[in-house]
Amino acid sequence: MAIVDTLREITQRVENELKATDTSAALDALRVTVLGKKGELTALLKGMGQLAPEERPKVGAQINEVREHLTNLMADRETAIKKAEREAALKAETIDVTEPRKLPRVGSAHPITLVMDELIECFSGLGFEVMEGPEVELDHYNFELMNLPKNHPARDAQDTFYMDDNIVLRTHTSPMQARAMLTRKPPIRIICPGRVYRADELDATHSPVFHQMEGLVVDENMSMSDLRGTLEAFAKKLYGNDVSTRFRPSFFPFTEPSAEVDLTCTACHGKGCRICKDTGWVEVLGCGMVNPKVLEMCGIDSTKYSGFAFGIGLERIAMKRFGITDLRMLYEGDARLLSQLR
Amino acid sequence: MKLAMNMIREYADIPVSPKEYESRMIMSGTAVEGVDDISGGIEKVVVGRVLTCEDVEGTHLHQCTVDVGGEEPLHIVCGAPNVKPGVLVPVALDGSKLPGGIKIKKGKLRGMVSEGMLCAATELKVPQELYPSVGDEGLLIFNEDYPVGSDVRPILGIDDYAVDFEILANRPDCLSAIGIARETAAALGTTFKAPDTSVVEAGGNINDEVSVRVDDYEGCPRYAARVIKNVRIAPSPMWMRKYLHAAGLRSINNIVDITNYIMLEYGHPMHAFDLSKVRGRQIIVRRAAEGEKLTTLDGVERDLRTADLVICDAEAPTGFAGIMGGEESEITEATTEVMFECASFDRTSIRLSGRAHGMRTDASGRFERGVCAATVMEALDRACHLVNELNAGDVVSGCIDLYPNPKPQQTIVADPERIRIRAGVQIPDQAMLDILTKLNFEVEMADGKIIAKVPAYREDLDGEADICEECLRMYGYEHIGATPLHGLTTQGGVSPMKAMKNRIGKILQGLSYLEIMNFSFVGVKEIAKLELPQDDWRMDPMPIRNPLGEDTAVMRPTLVGSMCKTLSYNMNHATEAANLYEMAAVFDHHNLTEEGLPTETQTLCMGSYGEDADFFSVRTAVEAVLRAFGIQCEVEAGGEVYHHPGRCAKLVRGRQVFAVIGEVHPTVRENFDMPKRAVIAEVNLQQLLEMGKPMGEMKPLPRFPAMSRDLALVMKETVLVGPLMADMRKAAGNLLENIEMFDVYRGAQIGEGNKSVAFSLTFRAADRTLIDEEVQKAVDKVMKVCAEKYEANIRG
Repeated sequence: MAIVDTLREITQRVENELKATDTSAALDALRVTVLGKKGELTALLKGMGQLAPEERPKVGAQINEVREHLTNLMADRETAIKKAEREAALKAETIDVTEPRKLPRVGSAHPITLVMDELIECFSGLGFEVMEGPEVELDHYNFELMNLPKNHPARDAQDTFYMDDNIVLRTHTSPMQARAMLTRKPPIRIICPGRVYRADELDATHSPVFHQMEGLVVDENMSMSDLRGTLEAFAKKLYGNDVSTRFRPSFFPFTEPSAEVDLTCTACHGKGCRICKDTGWVEVLGCGMVNPKVLEMCGIDSTKYSGFAFGIGLERIAMKRFGITDLRMLYEGDARLLSQLR
Repeated sequence: MKLAMNMIREYADIPVSPKEYESRMIMSGTAVEGVDDISGGIEKVVVGRVLTCEDVEGTHLHQCTVDVGGEEPLHIVCGAPNVKPGVLVPVALDGSKLPGGIKIKKGKLRGMVSEGMLCAATELKVPQELYPSVGDEGLLIFNEDYPVGSDVRPILGIDDYAVDFEILANRPDCLSAIGIARETAAALGTTFKAPDTSVVEAGGNINDEVSVRVDDYEGCPRYAARVIKNVRIAPSPMWMRKYLHAAGLRSINNIVDITNYIMLEYGHPMHAFDLSKVRGRQIIVRRAAEGEKLTTLDGVERDLRTADLVICDAEAPTGFAGIMGGEESEITEATTEVMFECASFDRTSIRLSGRAHGMRTDASGRFERGVCAATVMEALDRACHLVNELNAGDVVSGCIDLYPNPKPQQTIVADPERIRIRAGVQIPDQAMLDILTKLNFEVEMADGKIIAKVPAYREDLDGEADICEECLRMYGYEHIGATPLHGLTTQGGVSPMKAMKNRIGKILQGLSYLEIMNFSFVGVKEIAKLELPQDDWRMDPMPIRNPLGEDTAVMRPTLVGSMCKTLSYNMNHATEAANLYEMAAVFDHHNLTEEGLPTETQTLCMGSYGEDADFFSVRTAVEAVLRAFGIQCEVEAGGEVYHHPGRCAKLVRGRQVFAVIGEVHPTVRENFDMPKRAVIAEVNLQQLLEMGKPMGEMKPLPRFPAMSRDLALVMKETVLVGPLMADMRKAAGNLLENIEMFDVYRGAQIGEGNKSVAFSLTFRAADRTLIDEEVQKAVDKVMKVCAEKYEANIRG
């Protein structure tokens, strides 16, 4: 048979066989048979010695042409097979993504910490620095410098735990006002979050241990409207722009004038509901202008400087925020409750 | 303090609704807790006359016709035994309301139409002291004639509101109807009308009746007395009973009621003595003498302290001044002559006596908060005016009034401009003057300053800031604007300790730890559950002098007890596994600060139990926390007595202990009722803050390849891997980059009591690729120290 015929026969046969080849292994075998060192085309090239010299270039070119053609065909086939094989492999690895699995446990900060951190963020943006101090406190700071001398009747309102005649468990974070004024120079802008203590039996709404955050600003020409501006900024950050504040006259020995501050009830947006007892307002904190007597006792010239202070109860905010109905839930440490927080 | 709204109206008009009144008072500085309808919400209950009344056979019912002033009488079925024709009774009409929200509607009873209900006193909730004839059983039958169809509420004295005021600590003057009326008049712009204090005297001379001596004017700055003869004890009139009732006071008789009424009206506690029982007809106010005793009205015999201020007759103490009277001189039905006492006592003295003897009365509460001496005589005269009005006796001419050191009137000078700055509200000068005048100050302007003479009863005021508040609260807090903070900019931010706590919280939360908060005080018993030796300082924690109870009596010296309690709670409440942490102070009063306060050390306590929890899971969590602050520690075996002795360790660097970790000792677990094993760790945060570096640094990654060698060493079980690895590290020299333990094998092949521990050592040089020889040299050194010091040899 003429070489040309042999080449045609090989080409035809391989083309047919390729169509039926569907694995990489079969393709490799075919490649070896046809194109390998001992393959049919190689054999044809080797056999060219028997041809007349003038025919050799022509036949050589014909063989190489076929070789190139078949190589390309095989490469195409290989791509197709690899693709099919990959798809089959992936299909075999398919998992049931809908099977349920146990969720990893994720921890959480305590509700009070969450609220405290939120408040700290609000106020530090306004230039307030966090200051911390002792929970077992001198009567001097807790009461006397707060304009509550010994035997002052207002002391009764704060059922105090005493360690001895001069040492108490702080009944509020206000003593930090005195500590700040005695150690810093105006302008002073501080917040003091922390634990405070009152001799109240634990029930759904009272706890002998709870948390407050004191705020204090001392500077020149401070006024009640600066106080209100600061508290509104905080309220809007915490509860949104449609919340406003209401100031009611009140009394604290260490501020004058003093005010209780209500915020728009967020449950009913001020329309009145069960939570706000139909008033549209919820009481959140007490505040006022620092009593000049307190400034003087703490070494600040009250003719030059004035200041304002506020004290926020964190439990009340946490209860509202997380829908907690019983204060005891905060101190039980029940993992089933705490793990509901995000 | 509850007051009938009509009582306040006696002294100031209230031309607004109760709800509006409440809000106006709150916004001007008098807190109101609530306003109660004294009738309990009664509506459409009228006077009716029973016309006919027929028994319904076989029942206790009666079929009645009742005239309520309408065109036709009503048909009403009634079960009361005392119903009969002709009586006047309260009739609840169709659509009426009774106390407690009960609604009465026309209906049928046993087939008989009933167009309303005849009411009993219990159904209308009318107290007997208001309407004595109400009786306990059956229908309320009116004892006087009233027009049929008229509202029963005014007849029964319940057509009023009780306002519950919450009086601020600085305003004892408002613990009275006239105090509230003064605030009311100022807040509503109406006029205050002072009560009538004129007295008709019946002759005689008080000095012939009684003598008074005050030995201690510090304790009793003012003492006034008046005498009533021919006393006619009788019930008080309806109007007085009504007001007393609304305030929660029981009506006794005219004389006692007058003293209580004056307390409500003026805020002055008074005392009425049966003068015939006062021995020697003499009153002495003095401190008690050593060893004296006194039996108070409540029947308790009390040993007096020499600091107690007492009221004595010629022979002995008969009452605690300002707190409680004695039994002997009590007013009875037989009393014919009375001495009224109205005085002012030192509030600290009253407070301390009350505390010492465990007595607290309405009177002592008022004296503790401050009763104004200046108005004593006015109140006493008002009492005598009421004696005249009620015809309760004859007022003897003259009075005793011992007040040697009257308090001078106070004057405050205030700068209106400074007031405006402080208030942040542009209150005009004239408005300030008007407000102060309304509040009973005498004011004038001089040199642009307000000169304000303070009314005697306003003992709470003493400076410009107080005047600012008076003006602002009456001008209206709603005028306070909201200005952004001005002045120098300040740097906000958290404290270093808070920043550290935040970071630790984040790490632990990622490791599935939940934050808990426990009380800072615990019981001694809870600490004892930790089985600490008696001489451990934690067994002597700082006590609270007046704790709520045994369980909350001392400041906790460790967080471990609270943690064990919380772990136990969770184990016993169906929680399979939990990781908990708390960051709080522990208190040590054996180490005092410069100020003499106990040392408070912020501490982290972690507790963990459940399937995945063991010593190592907690130790690695602690190590992760320490690592975050650049602290790398060695593990040293041994911990606290409350730990499992074989499963506890300290994390140390040099001589410093950064953490203690251990499984809870089985005995301690039993003490706390912990059914599962648990691991607890403690970290001193104060120390971590001082030693730690909050931020790490980023070193460039190595450019040359590392070489690693694995070694499996067989050693005795007793060899501790931690120290062994420390020595391996030392021996390996500078080229060692890292050493890790990756397997521990125990089995017959290596012999009983042995373990095979596999390590992976990584070597690297920063400046070149290592060659085998230098690595082998290092490994040889490592093997040498292992063999010589620990008898740990290559597993062969």
